[in-house]
Amino acid sequence: MSIEFTVSLRRRWTRVLGVAAMGLAAMVMAGCASHYIDGATKEVNASTFKKPAAPAPVQVLFEFETKGVSNTRATDALKKQVVEQVRTSGLFSATDEKPAASGALLGIKLNNVPMSDDAFSKGFATGLTFGLAGSQVSDGYICTVNYVAPGKEPVVKVVRHAIHTTLGAAATPGNSTKAKDINEAVNTMVRQIVGNALNDLSHDPAFN
Amino acid sequence: MSLSKIRGLVLVVAAAGFSLLTGCAQVKLAPPSASIENVQLAKSSGMGPVAVEPFVPAAGVPKSVDQALSIRSNTFFSPYDSSFSKYLQEALSVELRAAGLLESKSGTVIGGQLTKSAVEAGASQGTATLGARFKVSRGGNILYDRELVENDGWESSFVGAIAIPAAVNHYTALYRRLVERLLKDEAFRAAVKP
Repeated sequence: MSIEFTVSLRRRWTRVLGVAAMGLAAMVMAGCASHYIDGATKEVNASTFKKPAAPAPVQVLFEFETKGVSNTRATDALKKQVVEQVRTSGLFSATDEKPAASGALLGIKLNNVPMSDDAFSKGFATGLTFGLAGSQVSDGYICTVNYVAPGKEPVVKVVRHAIHTTLGAAATPGNSTKAKDINEAVNTMVRQIVGNALNDLSHDPAFN
Repeated sequence: MSLSKIRGLVLVVAAAGFSLLTGCAQVKLAPPSASIENVQLAKSSGMGPVAVEPFVPAAGVPKSVDQALSIRSNTFFSPYDSSFSKYLQEALSVELRAAGLLESKSGTVIGGQLTKSAVEAGASQGTATLGARFKVSRGGNILYDRELVENDGWESSFVGAIAIPAAVNHYTALYRRLVERLLKDEAFRAAVKP
């Protein structure tokens, strides 16, 4: 093998490795994923809620789970947004994480599960996009709202939602809205899923 | 650009990319939060207001067990004085506080000693264990003294980005489960009756 050929080969490999490493680093740093909020679960404004004649104070407990296991970091990150949404809903006179004078308790649980899981699809058929083809991944979310007032049966409402993520030049998932980034996707999904659950709760005669 | 400079640049970028991908982070656990189940369990237990005294590692438990956990070269520690004993103390306190049953001046005092704290995130299987000896005393009398242990096992992954968060979630969930086990224990319930 000539010296000239060896140097040429080294240069080529150096260039290939350089491009690969820079590409890898750029991909990791910039991210090449796009996030879409499923369109089946619509935005519900607080004005749609059926307000009680005499709103009572409530204790609010929020919890985020990943596949049914509590996720303290996500709970911590989203708690403020959820509690604020309940506070401005008009369904309660006051909200706090401490026990309410009325003794009422509102538990909100948000479980992130793969959409293929039985937990997500069991007994459930709506227009959510079950897109798992190619380089698309879909995350399912199940929001369970549990309202417990002293001397009354608990009122439970369940709403589902999804975020679709595509990598590279994958096709846009159907019936969905593209988010600016993952934070916007999560915040929008949380606002919509909690809004729908609160709306369902407000229209239940057992709540009012 | 000379060959040696290009090679240097390649090494720097590759190292940056590699470190970003693998990470060797020191991560503080998020604070525990009250759960609907445990709050309702505490409320329905018939227990009176209680005080919670500082939790400590049990005798014979190495300090390192109380201070940090290592999961695939990432180190996790408690936000409370880097002590998992204190994390357990807070996990119990936050549930009792949300149930309106935490009263620092109460004569009934719950104490605790961390006896076990471990987590493994293998390539296919993850495991975690958490144990503590809980004590309830009133006026110098010990009314309850029992070690409780919670274990968990789950499907792990070869990929650290999947395995590490899953291990953290399963490990921290044990704190809530241990508190739940305590609140369900009939002997404990009898000890904390007003």
